[in-house]
Amino acid sequence: MRPMVPGALAAPIVLMLLASGLRSAPAAEAELSLHERIDRLIEAKLDAPPAAPATDGEFLRRAYLDLAGTIPSPEEARAFLDDPSPYKRDRLVDRLLELPSYARRMQYVFDATLLERRGDQHVPRADWEAFLLRCFAENVPYDEFVRRILEADGSEPPEQRAPAKFILERGADPDLLTRDIGRLFLGRDLQCAQCHDHPLIEDYKQAHYYGLRAFLDRTSLFTDPKTSRAMLAEKAEGETTFQSVFRKSVTHTTAPRILDLEPIADPELPENEAERYEVAPAKDVRSIPKYSRFDQLAPSLASDDVDAFSRTIANRLWALMMKRGLVHPLDLDHADNPPSHPELLDLLANSIRAMDYDIKAFLRELARTRAYRRSSEPPPGASEDLVEPSRFAVAGLEPLSPEQLAWSLMQALGVVDAHRQQAEADLDALEADLCDLCREDRDRIANRPWRIEQMVHDRLAGNVRGFVQIFGASEGQPDSSVESSVHQALFLSNGPLVQSWLNPSGTNLTARLAAIEDPAAVAEPLYLAVLSRRPSEEERAEVVSYLESRGADQRAAAVRELAWALVTCSEFRFDH
Amino acid sequence: MRCSYSCRSIEHVLSRRSFLGGLAAGFGAAAGFAGRPMGALAADLQRGGYQILMIYLAGGSSQLETWDPKPGTATGGPFRAIETSVPGVRISELLPKTAQQMHHLSLFRGLNTSEDDHGKGHYLMHTGRRQAPGVEHPHLGSLAARFLAPERDPLPGYIHITPGGGGFSGKDAAFLGPKYGALTLGNGNPPVNADRPGSIGEAEDLARHQLRMRLDRRFDTRRRTAETEAYTATYDQALQLMERRDVFDVTKEPTRDQDRYGSHDLGRHCLLARRLLEAGATFVKVTHSNYDTHNENFDFHLEQVGEFDVSFSALIADLAERGMLDRTLVIVNSEFGRTPNINQYYGRDHWSKAWSVALAGAGIKRGSVVGATNENGTEVVDGEAHGEALFHTYLRAIGIDPVIDEFSVNGRAFQIADPAFYPIEDLLA
Repeated sequence: MRPMVPGALAAPIVLMLLASGLRSAPAAEAELSLHERIDRLIEAKLDAPPAAPATDGEFLRRAYLDLAGTIPSPEEARAFLDDPSPYKRDRLVDRLLELPSYARRMQYVFDATLLERRGDQHVPRADWEAFLLRCFAENVPYDEFVRRILEADGSEPPEQRAPAKFILERGADPDLLTRDIGRLFLGRDLQCAQCHDHPLIEDYKQAHYYGLRAFLDRTSLFTDPKTSRAMLAEKAEGETTFQSVFRKSVTHTTAPRILDLEPIADPELPENEAERYEVAPAKDVRSIPKYSRFDQLAPSLASDDVDAFSRTIANRLWALMMKRGLVHPLDLDHADNPPSHPELLDLLANSIRAMDYDIKAFLRELARTRAYRRSSEPPPGASEDLVEPSRFAVAGLEPLSPEQLAWSLMQALGVVDAHRQQAEADLDALEADLCDLCREDRDRIANRPWRIEQMVHDRLAGNVRGFVQIFGASEGQPDSSVESSVHQALFLSNGPLVQSWLNPSGTNLTARLAAIEDPAAVAEPLYLAVLSRRPSEEERAEVVSYLESRGADQRAAAVRELAWALVTCSEFRFDH
Repeated sequence: MRCSYSCRSIEHVLSRRSFLGGLAAGFGAAAGFAGRPMGALAADLQRGGYQILMIYLAGGSSQLETWDPKPGTATGGPFRAIETSVPGVRISELLPKTAQQMHHLSLFRGLNTSEDDHGKGHYLMHTGRRQAPGVEHPHLGSLAARFLAPERDPLPGYIHITPGGGGFSGKDAAFLGPKYGALTLGNGNPPVNADRPGSIGEAEDLARHQLRMRLDRRFDTRRRTAETEAYTATYDQALQLMERRDVFDVTKEPTRDQDRYGSHDLGRHCLLARRLLEAGATFVKVTHSNYDTHNENFDFHLEQVGEFDVSFSALIADLAERGMLDRTLVIVNSEFGRTPNINQYYGRDHWSKAWSVALAGAGIKRGSVVGATNENGTEVVDGEAHGEALFHTYLRAIGIDPVIDEFSVNGRAFQIADPAFYPIEDLLA
């Protein structure tokens, strides 16, 4: 395992990237880049040409949604579409990965993945989000990120206990944690192996379930009577035993163990019970054993020894970009549900491990593949087999997450820009009294986009939470369980929030469009703002005819209706 | 170790078979594994056109003051038992109007749920499962919304009418996905966002929808997927729901009916339930609060059951008269019953060992009583069954065989009811 000292994490990102580049030098000797090897493995399984490359507009929108969590501004869209450089797609990906919006996007993705829309009973949401944001801003390696989450027990000082949210919001329930650790980090839903070996999945053993649970069985949720903060208490003894419901006569005992790896035996414990504790159990006291089974969890799981760990994150990041896992569903990795491309998954798992779990570098490679850069439109006359999502011959299509939808709507309708301008003015006012030297300080300049992003985020995050309520999964369920519903359609059609964004006001989209006199000049800024592309001739004519049918005196209302139709059409609702 | 048996497993079926031994030969062996796969099942269910009405007596209603009176015993309390429209079947005198509808009802007096906690009892009586860590099961309303409701039904598949706040929540749907959650009509008020914004006229609304549809057609022509189709269909549903939003307005019902159902919340809510069921709503639940009578059990039941009797009897009579009872399963339940023992505050406490529910309608025998308690009502002496078995019974009543029919969500198979149990056959028509 790579040694990792906390101090190194604060090092500038550039240095870290450089370092990871050096470490993966042997991989570079393989003459082909990772993205090229990925594409060859995908294309080797196709017996017909895949979809054409995405248009500039499609690619721009997709890359923004996937790596920045929102659609681009109309100015960015125009600049990208007009840029003649053949390298502009690579440059866009590189640029997006360095923006504050990348860290924010990953914050949302990993919040939804790890907490599955659970509430905020034990750890304030703001602390958890700040922890996630910082990890992705610093590009903390994924294995280190997982260790930070699984070693936190809630007893840390308030400013450091945010990562314990994963465990605490699950009530420290050993069964719930066993299931979710298996699902999220090992790609295995072991729920059905709780009472017996999985009846339908040969690879999932009851011993796997209890091996994981043994890390947690001695812990319990303890509430500090002074601070009222929840944390884990742990006992020094207690064995994890299990029986199959079909053979109750045989009782098995297991030490903590990750899947089929060696069990982690307890060290020799002192005979005297009291000597087994740093702090012995007593009323209103958090017991702390000298040897903690819980402490073994983070290093044992997020380890290079655990194939399932690297395989699962490789598959999850692949699914994030390609809208479908190589193993699908993401938490049913077993021999009878093989990956669509077994060699590719091996390659990805080995690569991310060799890259020292550098998420940003890994996503960059995925964003460079031809597979990622294809159109979501199947080629003419494509067979059913070719358009099958697991072929990756046609780009995938996925509804925007609640957060992507909220930010994209606010971006499209001009809400974000208005708040960004305000934030910039506020920051300027705040810094007006600084000396020239301070103002030109390099750190301050480098920090400015981050501060602006945070200010805009703070002002608009309340709207995002409203969208999570309507478009997110319910508590404890993955977002993949969400289907379109009539309530969502009513919210977008009649809800006061979206209506207020659509009403012309200040410099928002509809106000800007309503001020354009020539009906023929409305379509382009409208399409650039909402769909990040220029309209076709047919679409231009459609906009003109809509505006003319409503007459000049109804221009504001007509513009509002046009904008509504564009933000509710499927081209906007989906990442495609 | 408690097992939640959440997986669909042949071993579960087999182990139950061997446990039941010869008994299983009757229907188990004949049924074999000839269950319908999802596609056929969905088609059958939608053709069946079943609806469900659940009246939930929140807090734990007393079986002794309703369906299983024990007058003249130490535990019986002050109320008498009265004759009903079914000779020989007697229920509490607090239910005089319901007694006249007894020929439509089936009583189950053998319920033992062994769960005296409000939350866990509520969970069991809505999901047919014991609550277990790490797993959430869908409520009956969500199962109905997912499997009974017509796919493009403009009315939400699971509607809950209750005192208090309203809104939409996906929680009850668990892994089925929030779409199949409950639309709660708090105090019977219509759902939010069902009205067009004041600034948009009907013609303008239609115009913007037509524009949206043209945009959708252009995009979907080449990229159509089940998901894009489902998305665009929700706007058709929204328009239909807005068109029909009167269906949530109980004041549109004749004054005569409003009087007949009672001028209290429950009366209005039961009448709204009738209105919604008539409009085709798949699952309607009405909550009547609160029966948690640790103090003054008898005064409270006099009042609460009095309200219930008026509204419920009118509703049952109407459903029967309109021919809706054949297709509508009616369930009157609670999280548990109340202790035969009367405490020092003239109250009854939580009691799940021997209590009753009432059923009617689709698939249910009429005018019958199944199960019995002893003289004091302290124990089930005949036909005892658990909450899980009751849940199987609901499903069988509406044409689902929870033992053999196949269910899956996103490619994952699941057992719709706890596989360690069977339906209560005597309740089924």
